Amino acid sequence: CSNFQKLLKSNDVDLKYKAALEYYEKGDYYRANQLLEQVMPLMTGREEAEKARFYYANTHYQQREYMLSAFQFRTFYETYPRSEMAEEAMFLQAKSLYNDSPDFEQDQTSTVTAMESIQEFLVRYPNSQFAAEANKMFDTLSAKLDLKSFESARLYYKLRYYKSAVVAFTNFLRENPSSPYSEEASYLRVDAQYRFALESVPDKQQERFIEAVDYYQAFIDQYPDSRFLRSAEQVYANTQSELEKIKKTNPSNS
Amino acid sequence: SQVLNNQAQSNSIDYAQPQRYRIGGIEFTGVKFLDPTSLTAVSGLKVGDEITVPGEDISRAVQKLWDQGILGDVDVYVTRIEGNQIFLNFDLKERPRLSRFEFKGINKSQQDALREKINLIRGKVVTDAVLNQTRAAIRKYYAEKSYLNAKINIVQRPDSLLPNSVVLNIDIDRGDKVKISEIIFEGNEAFSDKKLRRQLKKTKEKRFYKIFTSSKFQRSEYENDKQLLLDFYNSEGYRDAIIVSDSVYNVSPDRLGVRIVLDEGNRYYYRNITWNGNYLYEDDYLTRVLGINKGDVYNKQELDKRLNYNPTGIDVSALYQNDGYLFFNIDPVEVTVDGDSIDIEMRVSEGPQATISKVTVTGNTKTSDHVVLREIRTLPGQKYSREDLIRSRNELANLGYFDPETIGLNPMPNPEEGTVDINYTVSERPNDQISLSGGWGGPIGAVGTVGLTLNNFSTRKLLKLSEWRPLPSGDGQRLSLNVQANGRYYQSYSFSFTEPWLGGRKRNALTASVFKTVRREPRADIDRRLNVDGGALSLGRTLQWPDNFFQLSHTLSYNRYTLRNYPLFGTAFQNGVSNNISFNTTLARVSIDNPTFPRRGSNISLAMNLTPPYSLFSDKRNNFEFVEFNKWMLDASFFMNLAGNLVLNTRAHFGFLNNYSSKTSIGPFERFRLGGNGLGGANIFVGTDYIGLRGYDDESVINNPDPTLLNTGGIAYNKFVTEARYLISPNPGATIYGLAFLEAGNSFGSYDRYNPFKLYRSGGVGVRIFMAAFGLLGFDYGWRFDDVPGRPEMKRGQFHFMIGQQIR
Repeated sequence: CSNFQKLLKSNDVDLKYKAALEYYEKGDYYRANQLLEQVMPLMTGREEAEKARFYYANTHYQQREYMLSAFQFRTFYETYPRSEMAEEAMFLQAKSLYNDSPDFEQDQTSTVTAMESIQEFLVRYPNSQFAAEANKMFDTLSAKLDLKSFESARLYYKLRYYKSAVVAFTNFLRENPSSPYSEEASYLRVDAQYRFALESVPDKQQERFIEAVDYYQAFIDQYPDSRFLRSAEQVYANTQSELEKIKKTNPSNS
Repeated sequence: SQVLNNQAQSNSIDYAQPQRYRIGGIEFTGVKFLDPTSLTAVSGLKVGDEITVPGEDISRAVQKLWDQGILGDVDVYVTRIEGNQIFLNFDLKERPRLSRFEFKGINKSQQDALREKINLIRGKVVTDAVLNQTRAAIRKYYAEKSYLNAKINIVQRPDSLLPNSVVLNIDIDRGDKVKISEIIFEGNEAFSDKKLRRQLKKTKEKRFYKIFTSSKFQRSEYENDKQLLLDFYNSEGYRDAIIVSDSVYNVSPDRLGVRIVLDEGNRYYYRNITWNGNYLYEDDYLTRVLGINKGDVYNKQELDKRLNYNPTGIDVSALYQNDGYLFFNIDPVEVTVDGDSIDIEMRVSEGPQATISKVTVTGNTKTSDHVVLREIRTLPGQKYSREDLIRSRNELANLGYFDPETIGLNPMPNPEEGTVDINYTVSERPNDQISLSGGWGGPIGAVGTVGLTLNNFSTRKLLKLSEWRPLPSGDGQRLSLNVQANGRYYQSYSFSFTEPWLGGRKRNALTASVFKTVRREPRADIDRRLNVDGGALSLGRTLQWPDNFFQLSHTLSYNRYTLRNYPLFGTAFQNGVSNNISFNTTLARVSIDNPTFPRRGSNISLAMNLTPPYSLFSDKRNNFEFVEFNKWMLDASFFMNLAGNLVLNTRAHFGFLNNYSSKTSIGPFERFRLGGNGLGGANIFVGTDYIGLRGYDDESVINNPDPTLLNTGGIAYNKFVTEARYLISPNPGATIYGLAFLEAGNSFGSYDRYNPFKLYRSGGVGVRIFMAAFGLLGFDYGWRFDDVPGRPEMKRGQFHFMIGQQIR
């Protein structure tokens, strides 16, 4: 039975607290965490309580238990808003959520929460030493959300549901006009509309090809030097020749 | 409390005119154990701060101090004001803090349950309010368990270890359970007391013969039951029925009585139903869909069901909503009430057709978006359809990654643009299976099994270590590894991998599998062994025609049997290699709504399994070197929801094995063995179809003229099953259902004896447990009705244990 086990069972708050700090300094966050968890409720109102709470939150953070550390850092800066460590606590709370945010392919509820926290932090401490990092984190997360909506729109294109792809790309372009993926979305919308028209019933084809031309023009206006230019031009040329074919077979329609 | 004027103070604070001050000093009085510095930190105030007095800053400080839960009272005074400097004094009252609490008089499990319910936090002060809350929580807990007379005594005593702390001893005497001895109705003429008592679902009388009925009295359930009683009256046309009064009284210390006084009112009937505002469908057609005729008993609930949502058939809303009319609205208005007759006018507003704009998924914390989205049938740009929505729900449930009972469908209409966004909410459930088992394998001794099935694997993330949590998952691929061995005599290894959407464009499922089996004859004087190795490659896809429930799959498989002194097929072929190359095509239509406990839908499949017809091209006649057969299987299974959680499953299964040329005989491969649990037992041999028939010994049922051939298996079989299933626990972690079955089947040794009406019958009951981590486990008791010739020793009633989902 180790010293640590004895400490865990002891009823001496001060001894436990002292040991917890030692473990913390040594980097043994697991043991520090165990001890702090026990003594914290009994230390409320004492001078050391502030430090204990911050350390407790940080032991979770260091052990990559980000859900817990986010919660504990939040409790810290809500309890001690005037503390010198409040700023760091708030930043670490946001960073915990940032670290906890999953890949773009999974549910992004925690990403949104993380972004809210970062914003809250930046409003509260605009001149913080952590501001640059916080801004960077925010950009990473927002790019992740962009990628998610772009990929889910592109999924319909991949699945060859071209009509759905056009609707999804249009939604994407409306909601994320300045996204790094807008250019590709804009090009893919032209291509999806062209393919959709191609597999449509003859009655609807002309109308739909014309819409593809509209999308092409929107694309070329916005991204005149696009890396998709060549491919887009090819689609445009194909669209024109299709429209010409329609005109020939049904001259009354034009 | 914020008391800013005290007697000692000369300059008063004007509440009408708040002023800005700078804090000149903060002091805490009345504290013995607490530290003023940390209290200042908690209060959020600092010397030098600018605050408004009176104002929010002080209120907030008081609130913060309170929130710590360590104080009994907080008063704030202004000690003096010097210029714009204000000096504050916080007068605090300390209360003892809770260091521990203990229960007495109840057992451990109840203590644990209570600990969850009561809100006692160590380190917080103990006030009268805290004690009262604790008492109330305990009383409520016991009241729910029908201990209405529980006595609770809480004793405080100082903790010797910590200063200013107390230990609470909570002494509980829960007393006797109080049950309902009588339920009395008054004022009921149309229905008997007995019928009305039946409507109260959770409030029941105690009777010695009602072993399974709980006769506890629970207030919330009772309120609910009163509503159910009124619902019952309403559904019978008594739409004015009310409960005039009701009382609960003591009959004896542990018995309660309930009296309910009713006023039934009149019974009403429908007279004329008219439609207004409908342009898409005729009045007559809508009336037919509604299915309510003149003279029917008035029932508001049923009317709503037929208008809005009818789980068992079509309703008026579905008619519109399946065609995109999401903004459709119908309002049944009682235009005239004449005596006992009611005229109803249906005010219909059809609205525009809604187009789906965005489709999103939330809650997929493990599964990738595209795996979910590709299953969903509501696509952007399409017309909204409720049918598609429900179909999508079923598809998601069938994936097996999510808890089927909590899949949420949230259409969010946007009437200005005529569009609708649809959000699906899912909650992941664990569905990887690990099996580790040991068993007795008959003559070869102990057999150990290690198995691992990952149902939502991702090979794409295999190289990204950050995505391993704990395994790369989320792409819907299936990986299965299984090793079974007893050391020297028996070893079996198998591996399979499935990608359900090969190429990511279409539902083309690719499965590759390989296996290897080594079997040695134990305790033989010469080396006798059999190796069976093989592999299979299969490609399956969903068809769009005749409808998109159809699936077609092709499998190419190769099995090689290597024999050394092993009389697998009698003495004619003991040494050498036997090759079995076959091609299987299966056409299936699957429309069940839930894979673990289907309630409706069907599963029909026709399978054809062919080897090349060697004998038609060559005269080679070693029947074993290249195995030759063709085999046809038909399976049909239908599910019907009879009521609530009761489902009827009817199944029919047929199988036929043929040769190509009449000159050859049908070999020993791919035969049918009928009887028992259908698992194949210890001597499972690749290339045999083990089919269950409960109530009979394993592999015992065969119709063969030659008694020496009883163990060879049949070349044709049929089996019919009707099974009533009742869902006991829908919990996705452990879905449990009970069943009662009647089944009949036979397998035939030759075609001239084939007779579909000659069957061996049995009946019985059983239970199935589906646990996400283990798969499906089953336990059945079957009773056979017929005797199998040549098996006089067979027991009439048999227990069967089953593992895994059984198709046949």
